[in-house]
Amino acid sequence: MLNRRHALTAIAATTLFLAGPALAVGAQGPKIGAPAPSFSATNADGKPVSLADYKGKTVVLEWTNDECPFVRKHYEGKNMQALQKKWTGKDVVWLTIISSPPGEQGYADAAKANKLTADRSAAPTAVVLDPKGDVGRAFKAQVTPHMYIIKGDGTLAYMGGIDDKPSARIEDLKGAKNYVDVALQEIADGKAVSTPTSRPYGCTVKFTS
Amino acid sequence: MRAFLGAILGALCLSLLSPASQAAPKASDLVQAELLTESRAIEPGKPFTVGVRLRMAEHWHTYWRNPGDSGLATEIDWTLPPGFEAGPIQWPTPSRIPVSHLVNYGYEDETTLLVEVTPPADLAPGKSVSMKALVRYLVCERECIPGEADLSATVPTAAAGQGGGAEPTSAYIFTAARASLPKPSPWKTSVSGEGERITLSVEAPGLKPDGIASAYFFPAGETALDHAAPQALTMRPDGFSLGLQRSNVASGPIPTELPGVLVIEEKLDGGTARQSFQIGTAPEPAKGSGAGALPPAATNAPPVDLGFGSVAWAAFFAFLGGLVLNLMPCVFPVLSIKVLSLVRHSGEGAASIRLAGLAYTAGVVVSFLALAGLLLAVRAGGAEIGWGFQLQSPALVVGLIFLLAAVGLSLSGVVEFGTGIAGRVGTLTTGSGASGSFLTGVLAALVATPCTAPFMGAAVGYALTAPPVVALSVFAALGLGLAAPFLVLTLWPALLARLPRPGPWMDTLKQVLAFPVYATVAWLLFVLAQQVGPGALFSTLLGLVLLGFGLWCWRLAAMRDGWGRRIGQSAAVASLAGLLAIGWSVAQERPPAAGQAAASQDGTEPFTQARLDQLRAEGRPVFVNMTAAWCITCLVNERTVLSTAAVKAKLGETGTVYLKGDWTNQNPEITRLLERHGRSGVPLYVLYPGQGEPVVLPQILTSSMVVDSLSALPAGVRRAEASIPSPAN
Repeated sequence: MLNRRHALTAIAATTLFLAGPALAVGAQGPKIGAPAPSFSATNADGKPVSLADYKGKTVVLEWTNDECPFVRKHYEGKNMQALQKKWTGKDVVWLTIISSPPGEQGYADAAKANKLTADRSAAPTAVVLDPKGDVGRAFKAQVTPHMYIIKGDGTLAYMGGIDDKPSARIEDLKGAKNYVDVALQEIADGKAVSTPTSRPYGCTVKFTS
Repeated sequence: MRAFLGAILGALCLSLLSPASQAAPKASDLVQAELLTESRAIEPGKPFTVGVRLRMAEHWHTYWRNPGDSGLATEIDWTLPPGFEAGPIQWPTPSRIPVSHLVNYGYEDETTLLVEVTPPADLAPGKSVSMKALVRYLVCERECIPGEADLSATVPTAAAGQGGGAEPTSAYIFTAARASLPKPSPWKTSVSGEGERITLSVEAPGLKPDGIASAYFFPAGETALDHAAPQALTMRPDGFSLGLQRSNVASGPIPTELPGVLVIEEKLDGGTARQSFQIGTAPEPAKGSGAGALPPAATNAPPVDLGFGSVAWAAFFAFLGGLVLNLMPCVFPVLSIKVLSLVRHSGEGAASIRLAGLAYTAGVVVSFLALAGLLLAVRAGGAEIGWGFQLQSPALVVGLIFLLAAVGLSLSGVVEFGTGIAGRVGTLTTGSGASGSFLTGVLAALVATPCTAPFMGAAVGYALTAPPVVALSVFAALGLGLAAPFLVLTLWPALLARLPRPGPWMDTLKQVLAFPVYATVAWLLFVLAQQVGPGALFSTLLGLVLLGFGLWCWRLAAMRDGWGRRIGQSAAVASLAGLLAIGWSVAQERPPAAGQAAASQDGTEPFTQARLDQLRAEGRPVFVNMTAAWCITCLVNERTVLSTAAVKAKLGETGTVYLKGDWTNQNPEITRLLERHGRSGVPLYVLYPGQGEPVVLPQILTSSMVVDSLSALPAGVRRAEASIPSPAN
């Protein structure tokens, strides 16, 4: 009798005890409309770069890995460079971020990063070196190319893929809807971003494990 | 295989030596793709299945329809003769492939993507048609390489009915591919959530809480969930649920449907079985069915972790609980009196007082260990008769509700149990010296019991579910906690003066403690409400009223003499009888779906040993299926194998009688049959030929396995008489 009596409280208590931790899980990434995670890192010219430096300006973050077939699609097809030139020309800040650690595909030291920029005629405002993956983790960057747009007030306006045709084929650039271009135009026009998120596609960011 | 792996290895070494070099392996070296046709020949208008078989180099993978955090699903572009139509890809259940802190969904080693192709009805026989498939895939290890394979197959055409069946050389590939497809879900699922959290609830009443080793949900949509987030499995009285994290690129309200694939690992007698189920309507529904060994799929950690940390915590809380017990009205007065008398009367040195303290501690701890041993014995006994200590049984829940309510009322002061004994303990002569103190410790443990329910509950629950060693250590800690103040006081008797005096505050404390107990009653009622109908719930609530009345009568009786006492006692006893009746009636109610495994479907007869013996005596072949409503593997086998036309036809053709035994409620006859075949659980499939030894089939069935076993029955015993109804009808 006694045992049973205890069993009930016991079971109730144990259940509550077990259910507790399950509710506590929940790692949050960046959110549209919320302030973007702040970061500071070093750029390929050896200078410190931080998001706070660009207060008041629209900032584009582009995760890259030069050997990733998806990245190569957008560079070999000249799509990425064209976008960089168009928008840096309109006072938008474009940061290309490399989160591959040494020894992994896509890793670049300052010299290699600058060479890549020159060879590919890329036109970012700066290339950010993130070999420890801190910036990538803060933004929950998953793939290359993973794209983010931060408005002048520091809030996140777009995150996701670069366009709506997830593939590594250059011929798919034609007719694709470039979400980044659309969002930047809407921000420039003072409109709300019509597609603030999309499925990011590409290679896994090669984070340090 | 070796050669090209060697080449890859060499290439990797080169690329490490000179990072700038582009010596990456070629996709076509990493994925061997082939196009297979299941049928020997194509018949006009009759759909046939083709398979794109992809064999990946070691550690490389291709992707599922939702590739997860990165990657790309494989695509097939068909070039078919005019009039041919290719269906969607039927995706095998994927695996979870973690990369750093991200997660991909795909296939390692090898996979076959099945596609159903429908030829035109006016197909000319005696020719051959050529089909082309351009397969585009992304193959990744840590690095990704896009690849293409231009595949083709030429198949002869035949007149209707002249196709000649399946091509035998590749039949095993198609069988394996079908087996790895998710099955239609036997359960209703619902989606709820708030903010970033989504809960996928699966209505599967009657599942055993300890029957599921793991569960994982693969969302079909790419932007529905955070793929890397842990999925917390929670067992519920009406099934289970998975706690999911919404993708941060998802927007809008929480969807009402979450299509995907649910993979469950069920614990069986001989290990575990993986089952995968299609949840919701995916945009491209997978067709076809079949059962069998499933490919390795994702697992997550079991939800209950009995690591050292949680054991230490449980012991710590048990110790605290033991300490608090000292403040209970049944213990506290006794404690001070005993210590006081010990100090006053011993008159001996501090050493003997200390010895007495240690002996008292030993007495308490031994008593608690004995109680734990008793619980473990009950648990072991319960397991033998199939009574798991689970809240699945309405009878147990109702019993707990009544008992807890009685405890609560007792704490509230409506009635008092055990005060008589407690009062006497102070004056009990248990002898002097160490043995006397030991006995006092035993008595203290006994006397404390009426007050301990709210505190010991957690420890007892733990003992019922934890491994024996852990349970014993928790109880030892509880005893140590109870004995600790006494021990401390015997070591430093001067502290006695600092103790608060026994007084009305103890009663207040006791009354306050009633409320957590009432809260537990409320929770148990909630649990019960999901298991039984409103009628039984009402009976239970009436039972609570009756319980209150009975206890009140009991107390009234205690304060009266003569007739008053007798009337009070009779009323109390009558109430108790009423309670028992209510408990019994509620216990008869089964959870709504628990009966679904009952042998009432057409073509089957309920299993009884007598019927089996009779059929065996007649020399009839018998197929016995032992199942239970809570057994997922049983359900899958029944739906995808035993109820298929092929198996039914073969049963009829061979004149085999299909007996189905439902072990949902622990039928002892079935238990004996299971034991005879060395099993302690279902599923069990036994085929008794007309004469000779029975054959036990594996726990995971395939149609071909069952059909083959039936075909292997000795021909002489088949279908001797037509008077016995065929199971196929």
